[in-house]
Amino acid sequence: MFHWLEKRPFFFAVAVFVTIAFAGLIEILPNFAQASRPTIGTAPYSTLELAGRHVYIKNSCNACHSQLIRPFKAETDRYGHYSLSGEYAYDRPFLWGSKRTGPDLMRVGNYRTTDWHENHMWDPAGVVPGSIMPAYKWTFTNIADVDTAYAEQITIKNAFNVPYNKPIPMKDGSTTTVALADSLSGAHASALEEAKVVAADMKNQNVKDAVANGQIPEIVALIAYMNSLK
Amino acid sequence: MDIATIQAYAYFFFTGFLVLVLYGYIYHLYSSEKKGTRDYEKYGNIALNDEVTDKPVEKVSDNETKNKEA
Amino acid sequence: MENRPLEYDYTVAKMFMFSTIILGIVGMLVGVILAFQLAFPGLNLMLGEGLAEYTAFGRLRPLHTDAVIFGFTLSGIFATWYYVGQRVLKVSMAESGFLMFIGKLHFWLYLVGVAAVVVSLLLGITTSKEYAEFEWPIDIAIVIVWVLWGLGIFGLIGIRREQSLYISIWYYIATFLGVAMLYVFNNMEIPTYFASGGIGAWYHSVSMYSGTNDALVQWWYGHNAVAFVFTVPIVAMIYYFLPKESGQAVYSYKLSLLSFWGLMFVYLWAGGHHLLFSTVPDWLQTMGSVFSIVLILPSWGSAINMLLTMKGEWQQVASSPLIKFMILASTFYMFSTLEGPIQAIKSVNALAHFTDWIVGHVHDGVLGWVGFMIMASLFHMAPRVFKREIYSKSLMTTQFWIQTLGVVLYFTSMWIAGITQGMMWRAHDEFGNLAYSFIDTVTVLHPYYTIRAVGGLLYLVGFFMFAYNIYKTMSARRIEENELQTASPMAA
Repeated sequence: MFHWLEKRPFFFAVAVFVTIAFAGLIEILPNFAQASRPTIGTAPYSTLELAGRHVYIKNSCNACHSQLIRPFKAETDRYGHYSLSGEYAYDRPFLWGSKRTGPDLMRVGNYRTTDWHENHMWDPAGVVPGSIMPAYKWTFTNIADVDTAYAEQITIKNAFNVPYNKPIPMKDGSTTTVALADSLSGAHASALEEAKVVAADMKNQNVKDAVANGQIPEIVALIAYMNSLK
Repeated sequence: MDIATIQAYAYFFFTGFLVLVLYGYIYHLYSSEKKGTRDYEKYGNIALNDEVTDKPVEKVSDNETKNKEA
Repeated sequence: MENRPLEYDYTVAKMFMFSTIILGIVGMLVGVILAFQLAFPGLNLMLGEGLAEYTAFGRLRPLHTDAVIFGFTLSGIFATWYYVGQRVLKVSMAESGFLMFIGKLHFWLYLVGVAAVVVSLLLGITTSKEYAEFEWPIDIAIVIVWVLWGLGIFGLIGIRREQSLYISIWYYIATFLGVAMLYVFNNMEIPTYFASGGIGAWYHSVSMYSGTNDALVQWWYGHNAVAFVFTVPIVAMIYYFLPKESGQAVYSYKLSLLSFWGLMFVYLWAGGHHLLFSTVPDWLQTMGSVFSIVLILPSWGSAINMLLTMKGEWQQVASSPLIKFMILASTFYMFSTLEGPIQAIKSVNALAHFTDWIVGHVHDGVLGWVGFMIMASLFHMAPRVFKREIYSKSLMTTQFWIQTLGVVLYFTSMWIAGITQGMMWRAHDEFGNLAYSFIDTVTVLHPYYTIRAVGGLLYLVGFFMFAYNIYKTMSARRIEENELQTASPMAA
């Protein structure tokens, strides 16, 4: 029986495949529906936040910063409540990371401000002496890609029923809605509105001028995203 | 039966099955060598005598070429 | 073809040998740059403010991992396949024009894919998933390259003379199937440009899985990409090259078969150990932890089999630098397959996860086991492919010691760094407050980051010596066929 398999490459390959595929079937498939249910208070990303998330990914921030707080006292003391599965329901892709060269950012929106981020991204060691993080000055001049963020919003709304323009239950019993524009120009307009709020708290004159002229530098989107991490 | 139960049974039975197969394989390897039906160690020579002009350890015969896959 | 006797045709193997060396240099050079950036952050600006975007740590890091995994290692796997495959099946690529064409197409398309990866990663076009950063157009190219390789494998098997498949072939087949399955499922994504009716960047896509599910699929992939790129095919190499170079058949062929099935069955379950204390179901985490421990058995089955192959012939380790490389490789294999399961124990993982200890673990596996084994394979292949003796044995020995020192500096410094950092993160003072702010745990690592960078640099220097040695071999003394029976010929 065994030798029969050993000299038949095709059936041998099938046997290998079954052996290795089995683990995936058992481990991964059955939890899918359950794990993707959002917790109360978790809302999808707005256009600007999503554009900021793309800036985060573009610069591989996740190579050094995790977004996963483990249930240990030392971690909850440092970063806040430990992570819940449903909090990640709208994260495509997930950004847990695998290395903490810098601190966790899962709830960074709770304890850092726009002003702090602006100074820190321009000169990390100037804000945190001894920091080994590179400066991200180019995000102050590069323009954020709102088009792609909007395209992604439409895609996930259609493909995965992400609840844009629908009431989302919040922790205090109220509801909120995340608006999704019905045209690209509408998306630009609403992203710009959000950007103006962020830029109002910033000091960099070039960034302020750009936003006043209807353009959104990457740093503004990035800060909007990080402020949304709570 | 919900999916978690099916999952648990599938895991249990398939793992048990594979363990049985693996032990069966060990038995097969040693018993066939003892009975003289097949000496697995000779396949180690495939790596040593691997010139294209060397004689194969087991030749693909015409008969077996016909029902060979791949 | 005239009346020449049939010979193995190494054209494609040779092409992949060159890409192994070139991409090895790229991957390791970027790695050394990254290591120095962590120790001396000013280097993020090494090409000035204007190019800072392309030289910063974040942009370069995926380039390092992908160049080493999909550049250096995959090239090495392909190069050895196109060499070993012919020999243990006793059939020449020259016998099939079709397979020859597929082989060359495989190489050139692979190179196109590599070029696309380098450009896109530098531009920051990435999905962010580790070792699966490529966007959908490149994913499709990779699938095509992989299918071509599969055609090559099964095509060659189809016209073989040797009926039984040597154990190395088993491992190559498993590599092909495993990576195919993992890669396809982890990269399920929807191109947003098409799904939104033509808005935004054409290359952008969004993952079909979200949050915890995405993490689960990603680490099922991430862990097993390590299995099927860094373990399975490298075992294939050592099962061929060590017996051939030493003239000793595998110690126990039966054990090699058993370890194969053991590894196939157990490895896939262990992926959960990347997600301990995360939000994936608890039973999965435990399963990942337990199976990681079980994994020691099949791994050590192979490693011990390799070491015992040298039984009665240990003087070869002293006399041949090539055997030295392979024996050290299998020793490092034993070492990292013990270290991995230790890190997968929940209480150890609580300390080690997110720290540099994990980075250290990956590197003693990749530098010590994968790197050494691929270089040894190429050293063994070079005289047979070029029909010339290896240019310099003493250069090879020097390289061996320099790189060994590099690896030791690397993993010892990362052990200390990782455990130091893990302990400081969790330390509380007498009032129950955190004892250290995060930046304290960064600045304390500076000496270890420096040592690590030096270790990496030594390894890179050794790799340049390797490249030079192979390059000079191409014009070294010609040799006769009968010099190639077992130990590789090398000039002093």
